[in-house]
Amino acid sequence: MLTRDETERYSRQTMIVEIGKEGQEKLKKTRVFIAGAGGLGSSVAIYLTAAGIGNIRIVDHDTVELSNLNRQVLHWDRDIGNKKIVSAKGKLKRLNHNVKIDAIGERITENNISQFAANCDLIVDAMDNLPIRYLLNKVALEKNIPLFHGAVYGFEGRVMTIIPYKTACLRCVYRGVMPGDKFPVIGTTPAVIGSIQATEVIKYVLGIGELLTGRLLIYNGLDMQFTEFKTKKDPQCEHCGEKRL
Amino acid sequence: MSVGINIHQSLRHLTNGKAIVEVDGNTVGSCLNNLVQQFPGIKPKLFDEKGKLLNYVDIYVNLESSYPKELAMPVKDGDKLSVTLIIAGG
Repeated sequence: MLTRDETERYSRQTMIVEIGKEGQEKLKKTRVFIAGAGGLGSSVAIYLTAAGIGNIRIVDHDTVELSNLNRQVLHWDRDIGNKKIVSAKGKLKRLNHNVKIDAIGERITENNISQFAANCDLIVDAMDNLPIRYLLNKVALEKNIPLFHGAVYGFEGRVMTIIPYKTACLRCVYRGVMPGDKFPVIGTTPAVIGSIQATEVIKYVLGIGELLTGRLLIYNGLDMQFTEFKTKKDPQCEHCGEKRL
Repeated sequence: MSVGINIHQSLRHLTNGKAIVEVDGNTVGSCLNNLVQQFPGIKPKLFDEKGKLLNYVDIYVNLESSYPKELAMPVKDGDKLSVTLIIAGG
Protein backbone atom coordinates (compact mmCIF):
# COMPACT_ATOMS: atom_id res chain seq x y z
CA MET A 1 0.00 0.00 0.00
CA LEU A 2 1.18 3.48 -0.80
CA THR A 3 1.16 6.05 1.99
CA ARG A 4 -0.49 9.44 1.53
CA ASP A 5 2.97 10.98 1.05
CA GLU A 6 3.85 8.42 -1.59
CA THR A 7 0.53 8.79 -3.38
CA GLU A 8 1.15 12.50 -3.83
CA ARG A 9 4.90 12.19 -4.46
CA TYR A 10 4.41 9.79 -7.35
CA SER A 11 1.16 11.27 -8.66
CA ARG A 12 2.68 12.50 -11.92
CA GLN A 13 4.03 9.07 -12.79
CA THR A 14 1.02 7.08 -11.62
CA MET A 15 -0.87 9.19 -14.17
CA ILE A 16 1.02 7.21 -16.80
CA VAL A 17 -1.38 4.50 -17.91
CA GLU A 18 1.37 1.87 -17.97
CA ILE A 19 2.30 2.61 -14.34
CA GLY A 20 -0.75 3.53 -12.28
CA LYS A 21 -1.00 2.85 -8.55
CA GLU A 22 -0.56 -0.87 -9.06
CA GLY A 23 2.72 -0.32 -10.89
CA GLN A 24 3.90 2.07 -8.22
CA GLU A 25 3.31 -0.59 -5.59
CA LYS A 26 5.39 -3.01 -7.66
CA LEU A 27 8.24 -0.49 -7.73
CA LYS A 28 7.95 -0.13 -3.96
CA LYS A 29 8.35 -3.87 -3.47
CA THR A 30 11.42 -4.08 -5.70
CA ARG A 31 14.95 -4.67 -4.44
CA VAL A 32 17.79 -3.39 -6.63
CA PHE A 33 21.52 -3.98 -6.33
CA ILE A 34 23.51 -1.12 -7.84
CA ALA A 35 27.19 -1.98 -8.26
CA GLY A 36 29.11 1.30 -8.15
CA ALA A 37 28.39 4.78 -6.82
CA GLY A 38 30.36 6.70 -9.43
CA GLY A 39 29.13 8.47 -12.56
CA LEU A 40 26.69 5.84 -13.74
CA GLY A 41 25.77 4.81 -10.20
CA SER A 42 24.89 8.40 -9.31
CA SER A 43 22.55 8.80 -12.25
CA VAL A 44 20.88 5.40 -11.84
CA ALA A 45 20.50 5.70 -8.06
CA ILE A 46 19.03 9.21 -8.19
CA TYR A 47 16.35 8.30 -10.72
CA LEU A 48 15.46 4.96 -9.15
CA THR A 49 15.21 6.64 -5.74
CA ALA A 50 13.07 9.44 -7.13
CA ALA A 51 10.86 6.90 -8.91
CA GLY A 52 10.19 5.04 -5.66
CA ILE A 53 12.09 1.77 -5.98
CA GLY A 54 11.52 0.43 -2.46
CA ASN A 55 14.92 -1.01 -1.61
CA ILE A 56 18.26 0.00 -3.05
CA ARG A 57 21.51 -1.70 -2.13
CA ILE A 58 24.46 0.29 -3.42
CA VAL A 59 28.01 -1.00 -3.12
CA ASP A 60 31.25 0.94 -3.64
CA HIS A 61 34.55 0.87 -1.73
CA ASP A 62 35.95 4.19 -2.97
CA THR A 63 36.28 7.58 -1.32
CA VAL A 64 35.24 10.83 -2.99
CA GLU A 65 37.99 12.72 -4.83
CA LEU A 66 37.91 16.19 -6.36
CA SER A 67 38.33 14.73 -9.85
CA ASN A 68 35.08 12.76 -9.40
CA LEU A 69 32.90 15.82 -9.13
CA ASN A 70 32.49 16.59 -12.84
CA ARG A 71 30.23 13.56 -13.24
CA GLN A 72 29.48 11.80 -9.94
CA VAL A 73 26.62 14.07 -8.99
CA LEU A 74 25.78 12.26 -5.76
CA HIS A 75 29.02 13.62 -4.36
CA TRP A 76 29.72 17.25 -3.64
CA ASP A 77 32.68 19.41 -2.58
CA ARG A 78 32.02 18.83 1.10
CA ASP A 79 32.16 15.03 0.59
CA ILE A 80 35.77 14.92 -0.59
CA GLY A 81 37.64 12.34 1.46
CA ASN A 82 34.47 10.61 2.67
CA LYS A 83 33.30 7.16 1.62
CA LYS A 84 31.16 7.37 -1.49
CA ILE A 85 28.43 5.23 0.00
CA VAL A 86 28.10 7.57 3.01
CA SER A 87 27.76 10.50 0.67
CA ALA A 88 25.37 8.57 -1.60
CA LYS A 89 23.12 7.35 1.20
CA GLY A 90 22.81 10.83 2.70
CA LYS A 91 21.75 12.40 -0.61
CA LEU A 92 19.39 9.61 -1.60
CA LYS A 93 17.64 9.60 1.79
CA ARG A 94 17.11 13.34 1.52
CA LEU A 95 15.80 12.93 -2.01
CA ASN A 96 13.22 10.32 -0.96
CA HIS A 97 12.95 9.21 2.66
CA ASN A 98 10.56 6.40 1.68
CA VAL A 99 13.30 4.40 -0.02
CA LYS A 100 15.41 2.03 2.05
CA ILE A 101 19.05 2.54 1.17
CA ASP A 102 21.46 -0.23 2.08
CA ALA A 103 24.88 1.33 1.46
CA ILE A 104 27.87 -0.99 1.62
CA GLY A 105 31.43 0.35 1.50
CA GLU A 106 33.23 -2.79 0.39
CA ARG A 107 35.16 -3.81 -2.67
CA ILE A 108 33.16 -6.24 -4.81
CA THR A 109 34.95 -9.56 -5.13
CA GLU A 110 34.23 -13.10 -6.27
CA ASN A 111 33.77 -14.05 -2.60
CA ASN A 112 31.23 -11.44 -1.56
CA ILE A 113 29.29 -10.64 -4.73
CA SER A 114 26.72 -13.36 -4.15
CA GLN A 115 25.76 -11.92 -0.77
CA PHE A 116 25.46 -8.41 -2.26
CA ALA A 117 23.05 -9.74 -4.86
CA ALA A 118 21.12 -11.84 -2.33
CA ASN A 119 17.37 -11.17 -2.23
CA CYS A 120 17.65 -8.62 -5.03
CA ASP A 121 15.36 -8.69 -8.04
CA LEU A 122 17.92 -7.32 -10.45
CA ILE A 123 21.43 -5.91 -10.78
CA VAL A 124 22.55 -2.60 -12.24
CA ASP A 125 26.08 -2.61 -13.64
CA ALA A 126 27.55 0.81 -12.88
CA MET A 127 31.13 -0.36 -12.50
CA ASP A 128 34.25 1.05 -14.13
CA ASN A 129 36.16 -2.10 -15.01
CA LEU A 130 35.59 -5.29 -16.96
CA PRO A 131 36.63 -7.93 -14.37
CA ILE A 132 33.93 -6.81 -11.91
CA ARG A 133 31.45 -6.46 -14.74
CA TYR A 134 32.13 -10.11 -15.59
CA LEU A 135 31.50 -11.05 -11.94
CA LEU A 136 28.18 -9.21 -12.07
CA ASN A 137 27.31 -11.04 -15.27
CA LYS A 138 28.10 -14.40 -13.67
CA VAL A 139 26.12 -13.74 -10.49
CA ALA A 140 23.15 -12.50 -12.52
CA LEU A 141 23.23 -15.77 -14.45
CA GLU A 142 23.62 -17.83 -11.25
CA LYS A 143 20.67 -16.13 -9.59
CA ASN A 144 18.71 -15.91 -12.83
CA ILE A 145 18.05 -12.20 -12.42
CA PRO A 146 18.51 -9.51 -15.09
CA LEU A 147 21.59 -7.34 -15.47
CA PHE A 148 21.34 -3.77 -16.69
CA HIS A 149 24.67 -2.90 -18.28
CA GLY A 150 26.06 0.56 -18.97
CA ALA A 151 29.53 1.92 -19.79
CA VAL A 152 30.98 5.29 -20.75
CA TYR A 153 34.06 6.82 -22.35
CA GLY A 154 34.34 10.47 -23.29
CA PHE A 155 31.18 11.52 -25.10
CA GLU A 156 30.32 7.88 -25.81
CA GLY A 157 28.21 5.46 -23.84
CA ARG A 158 26.68 2.06 -24.32
CA VAL A 159 23.82 0.27 -22.65
CA MET A 160 22.05 -3.07 -22.90
CA THR A 161 19.67 -5.18 -20.87
CA ILE A 162 20.49 -8.82 -20.23
CA ILE A 163 17.91 -11.45 -19.35
CA PRO A 164 19.78 -14.61 -18.26
CA TYR A 165 19.85 -17.43 -20.81
CA LYS A 166 17.30 -15.66 -23.01
CA THR A 167 19.41 -12.86 -24.42
CA ALA A 168 23.09 -12.35 -25.15
CA CYS A 169 24.98 -11.91 -21.89
CA LEU A 170 27.89 -9.56 -21.30
CA ARG A 171 30.43 -12.30 -22.04
CA CYS A 172 28.68 -13.17 -25.30
CA VAL A 173 29.35 -9.63 -26.48
CA TYR A 174 32.59 -8.60 -24.75
CA ARG A 175 36.00 -10.17 -25.20
CA GLY A 176 38.22 -7.38 -23.94
CA VAL A 177 38.20 -3.71 -23.14
CA MET A 178 40.16 -0.61 -24.07
CA PRO A 179 43.32 -0.47 -21.95
CA GLY A 180 43.96 2.17 -19.30
CA ASP A 181 43.16 2.84 -15.64
CA LYS A 182 41.71 6.30 -16.02
CA PHE A 183 39.25 7.11 -18.75
CA PRO A 184 38.13 10.48 -20.11
CA VAL A 185 34.50 11.40 -19.53
CA ILE A 186 32.14 14.37 -19.54
CA GLY A 187 29.42 14.19 -16.88
CA THR A 188 26.55 14.32 -19.33
CA THR A 189 27.52 10.92 -20.75
CA PRO A 190 26.89 8.87 -17.56
CA ALA A 191 23.82 11.05 -16.99
CA VAL A 192 22.37 9.88 -20.33
CA ILE A 193 23.42 6.25 -19.98
CA GLY A 194 22.42 5.95 -16.30
CA SER A 195 19.01 7.40 -17.11
CA ILE A 196 18.50 4.79 -19.80
CA GLN A 197 19.54 2.03 -17.39
CA ALA A 198 17.06 3.33 -14.81
CA THR A 199 14.33 3.47 -17.46
CA GLU A 200 15.04 -0.13 -18.36
CA VAL A 201 14.84 -1.17 -14.70
CA ILE A 202 11.46 0.50 -14.28
CA LYS A 203 10.12 -1.08 -17.49
CA TYR A 204 11.38 -4.51 -16.45
CA VAL A 205 9.79 -4.29 -13.00
CA LEU A 206 6.48 -3.18 -14.46
CA GLY A 207 6.61 -5.56 -17.42
CA ILE A 208 5.93 -2.75 -19.88
CA GLY A 209 7.41 -1.53 -23.15
CA GLU A 210 10.19 -3.11 -25.15
CA LEU A 211 13.37 -3.89 -23.26
CA LEU A 212 16.80 -3.19 -24.69
CA THR A 213 17.49 -6.89 -25.08
CA GLY A 214 19.28 -8.47 -28.00
CA ARG A 215 20.41 -4.95 -28.78
CA LEU A 216 23.42 -2.86 -27.83
CA LEU A 217 22.63 0.84 -27.87
CA ILE A 218 25.62 3.11 -28.46
CA TYR A 219 25.28 6.82 -27.75
CA ASN A 220 27.61 9.25 -29.47
CA GLY A 221 27.20 12.60 -27.77
CA LEU A 222 29.50 14.43 -30.19
CA ASP A 223 27.48 13.51 -33.28
CA MET A 224 24.34 13.22 -31.13
CA GLN A 225 23.49 9.84 -32.56
CA PHE A 226 22.08 6.71 -31.02
CA THR A 227 22.95 3.55 -32.95
CA GLU A 228 21.46 0.16 -32.22
CA PHE A 229 23.53 -2.94 -32.90
CA LYS A 230 22.09 -6.43 -32.83
CA THR A 231 23.59 -8.82 -30.31
CA LYS A 232 23.31 -12.58 -30.33
CA LYS A 233 23.89 -15.33 -27.83
CA ASP A 234 27.21 -17.09 -28.28
CA PRO A 235 26.65 -20.87 -27.96
CA GLN A 236 30.29 -21.17 -26.90
CA CYS A 237 30.03 -18.42 -24.26
CA GLU A 238 31.97 -19.37 -21.15
CA HIS A 239 29.39 -17.68 -18.92
CA CYS A 240 26.04 -18.70 -20.42
CA GLY A 241 26.84 -21.15 -23.22
CA GLU A 242 26.90 -24.92 -23.34
CA LYS A 243 30.52 -25.00 -22.24
CA ARG A 244 30.14 -22.57 -19.36
CA LEU A 245 32.79 -22.79 -16.66
CA MET B 1 33.34 -3.72 -54.44
CA SER B 2 32.69 -0.65 -52.32
CA VAL B 3 32.01 -0.87 -48.62
CA GLY B 4 31.65 2.04 -46.21
CA ILE B 5 33.43 1.82 -42.87
CA ASN B 6 32.10 3.95 -40.04
CA ILE B 7 35.17 5.00 -38.07
CA HIS B 8 34.99 5.22 -34.29
CA GLN B 9 35.06 8.79 -33.01
CA SER B 10 38.37 8.31 -31.20
CA LEU B 11 40.09 7.08 -34.38
CA ARG B 12 38.97 9.79 -36.76
CA HIS B 13 42.11 11.83 -36.27
CA LEU B 14 43.83 8.93 -38.04
CA THR B 15 41.50 9.12 -41.07
CA ASN B 16 41.88 12.85 -41.71
CA GLY B 17 38.70 13.43 -39.74
CA LYS B 18 36.62 11.20 -41.98
CA ALA B 19 33.71 9.52 -40.22
CA ILE B 20 33.08 7.15 -43.13
CA VAL B 21 35.81 5.72 -45.33
CA GLU B 22 34.99 3.91 -48.58
CA VAL B 23 37.06 0.74 -49.05
CA ASP B 24 37.31 -2.22 -51.40
CA GLY B 25 37.09 -5.80 -50.20
CA ASN B 26 34.96 -8.91 -50.04
CA THR B 27 35.59 -9.81 -46.40
CA VAL B 28 35.81 -7.80 -43.20
CA GLY B 29 39.56 -8.52 -43.16
CA SER B 30 40.22 -7.32 -46.71
CA CYS B 31 38.14 -4.19 -46.09
CA LEU B 32 40.17 -3.40 -42.97
CA ASN B 33 43.40 -4.05 -44.89
CA ASN B 34 42.27 -1.58 -47.51
CA LEU B 35 41.49 0.91 -44.75
CA VAL B 36 45.00 0.45 -43.36
CA GLN B 37 46.49 0.99 -46.85
CA GLN B 38 44.66 4.29 -47.07
CA PHE B 39 45.43 5.32 -43.48
CA PRO B 40 48.46 3.35 -42.14
CA GLY B 41 48.35 5.14 -38.77
CA ILE B 42 45.17 3.30 -37.83
CA LYS B 43 46.75 -0.16 -37.98
CA PRO B 44 48.01 -0.40 -34.36
CA LYS B 45 44.60 0.74 -33.14
CA LEU B 46 42.93 -2.24 -34.80
CA PHE B 47 45.48 -5.06 -34.89
CA ASP B 48 48.11 -6.51 -32.59
CA GLU B 49 51.68 -7.19 -33.74
CA LYS B 50 50.66 -10.56 -35.16
CA GLY B 51 47.91 -9.02 -37.25
CA LYS B 52 45.11 -10.28 -35.02
CA LEU B 53 42.16 -8.00 -34.36
CA LEU B 54 42.50 -6.45 -30.89
CA ASN B 55 40.06 -8.01 -28.44
CA TYR B 56 38.40 -4.69 -27.67
CA VAL B 57 37.74 -3.86 -31.31
CA ASP B 58 34.30 -4.98 -32.38
CA ILE B 59 33.33 -4.90 -36.03
CA TYR B 60 29.68 -4.84 -37.02
CA VAL B 61 28.40 -5.51 -40.53
CA ASN B 62 25.12 -3.76 -41.25
CA LEU B 63 24.69 -3.33 -37.46
CA GLU B 64 25.18 -7.06 -36.78
CA SER B 65 28.22 -8.42 -34.99
CA SER B 66 30.87 -10.03 -37.18
CA TYR B 67 31.90 -12.26 -34.24
CA PRO B 68 33.03 -15.05 -34.32
CA LYS B 69 33.99 -15.00 -38.02
CA GLU B 70 35.27 -11.45 -37.72
CA LEU B 71 37.98 -10.96 -40.38
CA ALA B 72 36.72 -13.89 -42.47
CA MET B 73 33.16 -12.64 -42.60
CA PRO B 74 32.12 -11.98 -46.19
CA VAL B 75 30.77 -8.59 -47.21
CA LYS B 76 29.09 -7.38 -50.36
CA ASP B 77 28.86 -4.18 -52.32
CA GLY B 78 27.06 -1.48 -50.37
CA ASP B 79 27.51 -3.08 -46.95
CA LYS B 80 28.21 -0.83 -44.00
CA LEU B 81 30.92 -1.73 -41.48
CA SER B 82 31.15 -0.12 -38.06
CA VAL B 83 34.36 -0.09 -36.06
CA THR B 84 33.41 0.08 -32.38
CA LEU B 85 35.66 -0.05 -29.33
CA ILE B 86 34.58 -1.84 -26.16
CA ILE B 87 34.58 0.68 -23.33
CA ALA B 88 34.18 0.04 -19.62
CA GLY B 89 34.18 3.39 -17.83
CA GLY B 90 31.54 4.07 -15.22
